[in-house]
Amino acid sequence: MSEKQTLPTTLAGFTVLPIVYSPTSTHVLYARRHETSKNSRSKTQSTLPSGRTVFLVNIPPFATEREMVLFFKPFGVVERVVFDWEGVDAREAEPDSSDEEVEEMEEELEQPQPRKKRKLVKEEKKTAPVVVPLPTRPLRTLRKSGGSAHVVFLDASSVDRALAQPIKPRPWPAVPEEPSGLAHYRAQYDALRPPLDVVRQHADTYMDLFDYELAKGRQKSTYKKGEAIVDEDGFTLVTRGGAYGQTVGGGVGVASKKFQETGETSKRKRKKKEAKEKETFYAFQKHEKNRKGLMDLQKKWEEDKAKVEKLKASKRFKPY
Amino acid sequence: MSNTLKRKRRAQDAPAPGKRRLVSEPDTGHGTDDQASAENADGMHIDHEGESDANLDDTDEEGEDNRPDDAPQGTRGTKPKKPPTGQLLRDIREATDLFKSSTFKLQIDALLPTVRPKPSRIPPLDLFLHSLYSFLTSLSPIAPQHPLVASRKLLHDSGVAVPFPLPSPTEGTNWTVAFEAPTDVALIGSWPTKCIVKRTDGLPYIVDVAVEMPAALFQEKDYLNGRFFHKRAYYLACIASAIANPKNGLDVDVSYASTAFDPRLTTVIIQSRKDGSPTDFSKLNACIRIIPTLPQLSPLPLHRLSPSHSNVRVSKSSDESSSSTHPPSPLYNTAILLACTPKSHLLALHSVKNLVPAFADALTLLRVWANQRGYGEGSKLCVFGFEGRGSWWGGLLEMLVTGEEHESGMLKSTKRKPLGKGLSSYQLFRAALDFLARHDFEKDSIFTKTTAGHNHPPGEYKANHEAVFVDSSSYVNLLAGVPLSSLDLLKYDALVTLNLLNSGLPSIDPYDEVFLKDHRTVHTRFDAVIRAELSDVKPRKPSLHSSYDHGSWGRAIIASLTSSLRHGLGNRTKAIGVLLPTSELRPPSEAQPNNPSTIYIGLVYDTEHAFRLVDHGPSADDPDATKSQQFREFWGDKAELRRFKDGSIVESVVWEVKSTDERARIPFMVTQHILERQFGIPKGAIKTWQAPFDAVLRLPQSISTLYQDSGIPSGFKSATAAFDGLVRSIKSLEGEIPLSVLNVSPVSDYLRYTSVFSPVAVPTSLFATLPDSARHLPMIEIVLEFEKSGRWPDDLKAIQKIKLAFFERIATALMKSENGTKATVVVGNCVDTPEIQDQARLEIVTPDGWAFSARIWHDREATLLDRIIDEKSHISKRAPQPFDDGKSKERTEALLAREIYTRRFIHGPKHHRVVAALCHKYSAFAGTVRLVKRWLACHWLLRGHISEEVVEILCASVFLQDRKASVDHPSVPGSKERGFSKVVQFLADWEWEQGLFVPLYSAADGSLDNADERQPKVAASASTAWTVTTEEDPGGRMWTTLGPDIVVAHRVRAIAKATWGTLQTMETGHLDVRELFIHPSDDYDVIVQLDQGALPQYFQNITADPEAWARTSKYANIPNSNSGESVEAQPGFDPGQLFHDDLKRIYSDTFKLFWDPCGGDRYGLVWDPSLRNSRPFRALGGFSSTPVPKGEKGKEKSWVILNEQSVLSEIKQLGGGIIKDVIVQH
Repeated sequence: MSEKQTLPTTLAGFTVLPIVYSPTSTHVLYARRHETSKNSRSKTQSTLPSGRTVFLVNIPPFATEREMVLFFKPFGVVERVVFDWEGVDAREAEPDSSDEEVEEMEEELEQPQPRKKRKLVKEEKKTAPVVVPLPTRPLRTLRKSGGSAHVVFLDASSVDRALAQPIKPRPWPAVPEEPSGLAHYRAQYDALRPPLDVVRQHADTYMDLFDYELAKGRQKSTYKKGEAIVDEDGFTLVTRGGAYGQTVGGGVGVASKKFQETGETSKRKRKKKEAKEKETFYAFQKHEKNRKGLMDLQKKWEEDKAKVEKLKASKRFKPY
Repeated sequence: MSNTLKRKRRAQDAPAPGKRRLVSEPDTGHGTDDQASAENADGMHIDHEGESDANLDDTDEEGEDNRPDDAPQGTRGTKPKKPPTGQLLRDIREATDLFKSSTFKLQIDALLPTVRPKPSRIPPLDLFLHSLYSFLTSLSPIAPQHPLVASRKLLHDSGVAVPFPLPSPTEGTNWTVAFEAPTDVALIGSWPTKCIVKRTDGLPYIVDVAVEMPAALFQEKDYLNGRFFHKRAYYLACIASAIANPKNGLDVDVSYASTAFDPRLTTVIIQSRKDGSPTDFSKLNACIRIIPTLPQLSPLPLHRLSPSHSNVRVSKSSDESSSSTHPPSPLYNTAILLACTPKSHLLALHSVKNLVPAFADALTLLRVWANQRGYGEGSKLCVFGFEGRGSWWGGLLEMLVTGEEHESGMLKSTKRKPLGKGLSSYQLFRAALDFLARHDFEKDSIFTKTTAGHNHPPGEYKANHEAVFVDSSSYVNLLAGVPLSSLDLLKYDALVTLNLLNSGLPSIDPYDEVFLKDHRTVHTRFDAVIRAELSDVKPRKPSLHSSYDHGSWGRAIIASLTSSLRHGLGNRTKAIGVLLPTSELRPPSEAQPNNPSTIYIGLVYDTEHAFRLVDHGPSADDPDATKSQQFREFWGDKAELRRFKDGSIVESVVWEVKSTDERARIPFMVTQHILERQFGIPKGAIKTWQAPFDAVLRLPQSISTLYQDSGIPSGFKSATAAFDGLVRSIKSLEGEIPLSVLNVSPVSDYLRYTSVFSPVAVPTSLFATLPDSARHLPMIEIVLEFEKSGRWPDDLKAIQKIKLAFFERIATALMKSENGTKATVVVGNCVDTPEIQDQARLEIVTPDGWAFSARIWHDREATLLDRIIDEKSHISKRAPQPFDDGKSKERTEALLAREIYTRRFIHGPKHHRVVAALCHKYSAFAGTVRLVKRWLACHWLLRGHISEEVVEILCASVFLQDRKASVDHPSVPGSKERGFSKVVQFLADWEWEQGLFVPLYSAADGSLDNADERQPKVAASASTAWTVTTEEDPGGRMWTTLGPDIVVAHRVRAIAKATWGTLQTMETGHLDVRELFIHPSDDYDVIVQLDQGALPQYFQNITADPEAWARTSKYANIPNSNSGESVEAQPGFDPGQLFHDDLKRIYSDTFKLFWDPCGGDRYGLVWDPSLRNSRPFRALGGFSSTPVPKGEKGKEKSWVILNEQSVLSEIKQLGGGIIKDVIVQH
């Protein structure tokens, strides 16, 4: 058991924030000032302002935003909590189109850089029909153990207070409105089964919005040749998909689909050629063929023999 | 004789080593190797092998070394290999033509030496035999005495009892017994002919020594009333006492052995002591058996010993029929004749062995095959009737080689013609199997061709023996005393093996199955195993004569029991195996062998007839009154005159059954009745294991009565009916929903007979009265398919929303049309799932209380998902895709959604259909699956690690093992217990690394022959270990992607092995079936004990404690108010399962979680062992860590270790109200 007095105050640049679960067990939260690398700063600045954000590792799996807010209350007012980079990239986008690539985090935490934010600007939103949401209850989202989160404070000084050492172990605040355990599962069971009229409204309004957007999209679209695909190294990929057998984005012509899939051009010619050659025309060919047959026979025999030898070594032949 | 034979053998072998040396001399490196093997292998078999070895190696080497002795070829250089030599080619050709395949031949070649005595250990035995010979021939005679006087004197002087068989001599006997040195001592049997085969379970080789009793000791009348046997017994006792005498210098242990408990066939067994003397042959693991024989010119008249003669004429009052004539005593006569035959058998064996080169090998194969199936001796249970029948196997092959005797006046064609002499050992072996599989022993007798015709008229054999097989020496029926039921079993085993050899599939290597595997285990061999204690046996009609004929009372009982059972069970069984332990040695002070006190009866069902409710007897208006009298006599009070629907009035026996479980027990009930009626064996002395297996699949009594009292429908049939009703009502909604329903496919194991518990409907009214730990309403899953329509949106997310709309419509319409139906739309899963994934369900609870869960299958989803997955389809698949794989979240989601889609909508319904078809085809299949599922669930593996579908496929593989077999083939289990045992055996032996192909779909179609073999060649990966392919799933991962992983796969194997071991205790009668289903939880690091009251499925627990729900259900009429919550039926609600899934997801990298989905009240946790060592800190470690205390072993500061305590606290926090306790074990 790692007792409080033996806990170091920092670890690999992280401040250790102990949380007391029970007299015998202490959970350890690791906190650090959130830093962004230069090239990604502009993108995440709005979501995770570097000055007032604390990066946390190993948050409790059952932690909710409210509990986080309560826990960090002594250091200052928390503006926002972001779990596992959720919605970091596309916060501005609408919920229905927010599923664009979330950066898969590797070890290089120093650059938690959300990549390639899709620029979806939909000013027309205002006129779009509003989706009636399905009713939600304050349900805990249980996250994977050892997850991370960003806590954005209202002002920068809170960050310093939060990271000041040493920090006294404190219990985790429990919010009664957000049940856990059996009550959680009961609530969840009920929440998944909303009244039928709500379901209908939700589905109907969603479809209205969908139709609306579809119509909008149709209006906007005119036939394009498509954009050329440029890979990370700046090379333009020569691919099918453009008009008139040309590459996407125009330019050079592309090989047929069949060639791409099989790597072969038309089969017909080659077949004819092969048929011309007789395999047993010359006597030596016959000999070779016979000889090969015999050799194969011998090879197989020897393989079998080796196999049996191997089995013999493992005493597989003693029936009893 | 043996010596001359051996010399001959050496002479034959001599050239071989010489030749070899000549060839391999040039190459020294190889020569040493070869010599080493030659040194090891002094004997003939290994010599032979060495020879072919050398041949091969020669060519091999010549190729590699470019043959230094052959210059022209050496210079060529371009040809690395030389074509095979003629000899080698011949060998190869021979192996493939005369044997099954070259591998098979090589395997047989490797097998043979292991079951034969090691030549290097024989010399001490030869030395001993020499001294034994001189010792026996120089024994001093003993003057004639009254038998009882003589035996008393012998017992007093040397402590050796005389094994007088029945009827024992009395004081009034007027003949005498005497001893004189034997006129001849000779080796007989299989030892001198080198046909001896190792016996199972490490029993020693038996070297038979025939001791010829001088003719002067016997009188012509000695064939009567056992006098011959008494004289023989005294002679044997004299030899035993002489050998046992410590002063004689032989220094051996002497004991008596009675073959197959027959005191008439008592012999003396000599075992060497381990004293290291030159004559100590204990290393050979052999013993010498001394058999007293009669001289070639028998002093007894042989014609008096034909099967129809009566030679036991006991003056008895009990046998009323004996007043006029004595019944024949065929077995008694055979036992006397056996004393005359050893030499002629030896000669016959020797001549046929010289005639047919492969005879010895074929005999060895046949006997290994038979031994593995219990037709012989062993420490396990063996088939009754085959002990000491060594000569029969040789006689069988001899008959095949020489053919049958032509009967005068019969058409030639009906008799077997001789097979060629040049057959290979494998061909001969197969011929023997073929004979065994096809021959009808009940009808046809076999008379091997002789040179001079047979001694006794053939008809006499037929009339007095059950099965007849007379060999060329024509004295004895080699099958005298072998019951027909044992021959049925033999026939069936031969059939199974033949099928296997004929299967012709290249990937199946039948060798292991045929020769290496022990097939004696009763629980995989028989559909029902019944153990009967014989201590209280009281036959209805005790017959003294039959005791005399069989040699002992016990043998007579078993023989009559066997035939009664065969008669009584009739076509219910394909074979009945009566199993006995092999007779044991006893010290010479014990005169009589101990009769077996328990027997095992194994039944192989004929599933078509086994569970018939009525046995018909003779018709009431049958003119032959004795028939119905016999029928009544046999069945006792069970027999009654009944009038049937077709108007016939027939004597019949009706078996009353209340449930399907009981119906499956009918064959046992028949057996029990016969044993009780005919043999007075009380019910308590008869035991079987069917009922406890049934109990495992049943709910506890208190709950099932609750169900029964309320009269709710339950069972698979009513579930199917409820499903059909639902389909009808959904289809009738035609106008109310925008698209009409095309198809409703069931995908639930409740609708395919394979769920652990039979489905049950729980109406809301009942639900309220159920105790907390039994408020479970099983959910039956179905899939709806709508007619094709272009109105579906072309967008995945929108499709999911449209599904919601559909469900809402159906729900409203259903509730309107059917009063009492409750339908709810479930908008998602408990876990957040991507929006493109199918997640919505419709829950329907019918007025009866059946709960269904419907999903909508829309085939456009697949295309749309594929489009996302294959987004870059315009890029050639051959081109490397550097920036595509695994990076895009959308693609990952689509891949997952596609997988779920394929499993749920494509494979789910297909799998359901095929499994349901198999359940109809094989009556025991569903029960097997249910038992196996229960077993895996009880061991905390089902669902969490092993999907139910893969269990069904694995069980099917056991039924489809013999792929060409028809439905009622004997290798197909006929009872669920046997199916279960076979699956356990399979799981214990399965090398899952190699995958498994199950011809599931072609089996259901009945087009097995066309199914081509597609053996998977997929290696196990870290996350999934099992690869189980079917025709529809060539990848083999459809049902195993979510597990088991390698750790769990190993665990399955270990548990299967342990279960297999426990199942073996059936053979000692101590098996407790429940024990197989009780999970040892000591291995888990942490046990999480759940609150039983919070688990609605707890009542299904194998060790469910009725107390858990007794408290709350005191007042059955008052609805249970559980903290004021509604008592609305919550179909499928199981916090135990939900919490399990959550824990599994949250801590997937921290520990492995195990639990029993069928009412488990404990979780087992195993920490990831690597996390328990400290490791450097990583921000996204994926587990809850704590810093390693400073200064410990000078480790770096930034090392962390798993924070076990905190994880456990979190679990407690997460499972508030569910968890009762967390117990840390390691």
